[in-house]
Amino acid sequence: MKAATSMPAHPHLRLDRLKRHYAGAPAPAVASISLDLPRGALLALLGPSGCGKTTTLRMIAGLEIPDDGKILVGGRDVSRLPPHKRQMGVVFQSYALFPHMTAAGNAAFGLEMQGVARADRARRAQAALEMVGLGALAERKPRQLSGGQQQRVALARALAIEPQLLLLDEPLSALDAKLREGVRDEIRALQQRLGTTTVFVTHDQTEALAMADLVAVMNGGRIEQLAAPEEIFERPATRFVATFVGRAARLSGQLEPGGVLRCGGQALRSTATLPPGPAEAYLRPHRVRLLEAGAAPPPGHDNLLEARLTRRIYTGETIALETETAAGPVTAELQAGQDGPWRDLPTGAPLRLAFRAADLAVFPAP
Amino acid sequence: MKPSWMLRLCAAVGFAILLLPGVLVLIVSFSAGEFLTFPPPGLSFRWYAALLSNAQLMTALGTSAILAAIVATVSLLLGAPAAYAIARLEFRGRGVLAAMLAAPLLLPTLVLGLGLLLVLQPLGLAATWPGLVLGHCLVAIPFAVRIMTTAFAAVPKELEAAAWTLGATPFRAAVRITLPNAAPGAIAAAVLTFLVSFDETVISLFLVGPRLSTLPVEMFRYAERTADPLIAALAMTLIAFALLMVVLVERLIGFTRAIGRD
Repeated sequence: MKAATSMPAHPHLRLDRLKRHYAGAPAPAVASISLDLPRGALLALLGPSGCGKTTTLRMIAGLEIPDDGKILVGGRDVSRLPPHKRQMGVVFQSYALFPHMTAAGNAAFGLEMQGVARADRARRAQAALEMVGLGALAERKPRQLSGGQQQRVALARALAIEPQLLLLDEPLSALDAKLREGVRDEIRALQQRLGTTTVFVTHDQTEALAMADLVAVMNGGRIEQLAAPEEIFERPATRFVATFVGRAARLSGQLEPGGVLRCGGQALRSTATLPPGPAEAYLRPHRVRLLEAGAAPPPGHDNLLEARLTRRIYTGETIALETETAAGPVTAELQAGQDGPWRDLPTGAPLRLAFRAADLAVFPAP
Repeated sequence: MKPSWMLRLCAAVGFAILLLPGVLVLIVSFSAGEFLTFPPPGLSFRWYAALLSNAQLMTALGTSAILAAIVATVSLLLGAPAAYAIARLEFRGRGVLAAMLAAPLLLPTLVLGLGLLLVLQPLGLAATWPGLVLGHCLVAIPFAVRIMTTAFAAVPKELEAAAWTLGATPFRAAVRITLPNAAPGAIAAAVLTFLVSFDETVISLFLVGPRLSTLPVEMFRYAERTADPLIAALAMTLIAFALLMVVLVERLIGFTRAIGRD
């Protein structure tokens, strides 16, 4: 695991070797999770289903008791506290709104449990609903609200208690694609305005990269990499991160001293400092520069591959050109409007691909 | 799939066999004659009038109604927590508890009645209100537990988890969140346990006394002595009452949903 840089001495949330093994399960859901999250930051737990991200979130909320390890919030150990003593605002995947209460009743419930006086909690519940743009629908029951509106009520209910932490379990997964982006940006804006330290569980890398200050990529109950979104995407720390986040061409070969990767008769330069041996390099499509056959590479691009076009995939915003090279299949990606010169290229046409040494993420072969 | 004419015919015959006696009783209850005969010599409301002026049966009706209300209340108060435990909590012996609570339904009521008499007589509880309540609860509580278990299980667990995270203790979450959402089941359980007690005959036969008797027992005794259409009028009144309750539950929440079948 690669540690995130420049953490303050007193993180708001600290997970210390957290572990959870469900009875009867062959492997622990969470094997060992440690991380620090500064106050006001948004952490995304990103990973495939079964990677332990939801179990981690539920342990932070107190809905799951860790077998081992500690959860510290503001320096205080809350690992053994029941959920009702933790003051954490949780937005469930299903929203879990109370069907027999109005939106206002839902938003006021936490305050009522805290013993806030009736008039005061009505005012604060209304303020929380207005914050998510639902002030006018306070008297509606959940079933009278759309999915997006229910999601906002769930958010308002979680924020009304002024939580120590805001915990979101796949909060956008039940919304349709069009709505998702808008709600995503709203949640982020609100979180930044309130400065609420937040943990967000998702299997959607775009969501994680767009919203988070820090992303923890999880796999098999462990954190593969904990870093800022750019770092995760541009400099994946492990093979898993390189393949799970974004797309990448895989070039297998033999790593030689000096970071040279022998691959299908080609010698590719990399910045790898691994010991020599069998290795795999991952190359992101947006890093590949397309050149006409015989053209000279632009400065700084140490690697040059001869390629033949095999397929062109048009998705509107991006155009992917799949090619075959001596080192293996490599995809180059162009933004819409920049594919002019390559638009009418027939299948099988010769091309040149150029990329920098630093564009190759090299890992030992499995 | 559309049912075939064969199936429709069988269903029609089945319903006819089930409902025909009721129709006969309905007609006889409006008899103008002195005896339980079919066809009646003429039609009148005289036996309904006679029913209202029969002090013994009216007293028994009052006893049965109050008894049924108490039994429904007690069954719900005791059955709901037990049902909650079975539906929600994980503990050793949960299966055993569920089986024990269903056991009274499997025993013949004759055996239960005799057993109750043997236990309650020495305690001085035979032919008393507490004795009757106890005996009726024994058969009513399993119904309450069964219905409430289904009702609690149908409320998403996540709702309670959400309440906990908002600061509710497990008890407050159960009372404020799960219970209100299981209310249709509670209404159904109340109605059903009321009817179970109201109709209970065999156990009552063992536990009533000369000064405290329930309607089914008095009906039974009346029918043994007399053969006039009064008993048919009473039977119709009770059927109408039971139907009214079922319609009420159906209107409020849907009966099949309330007893936990889809």
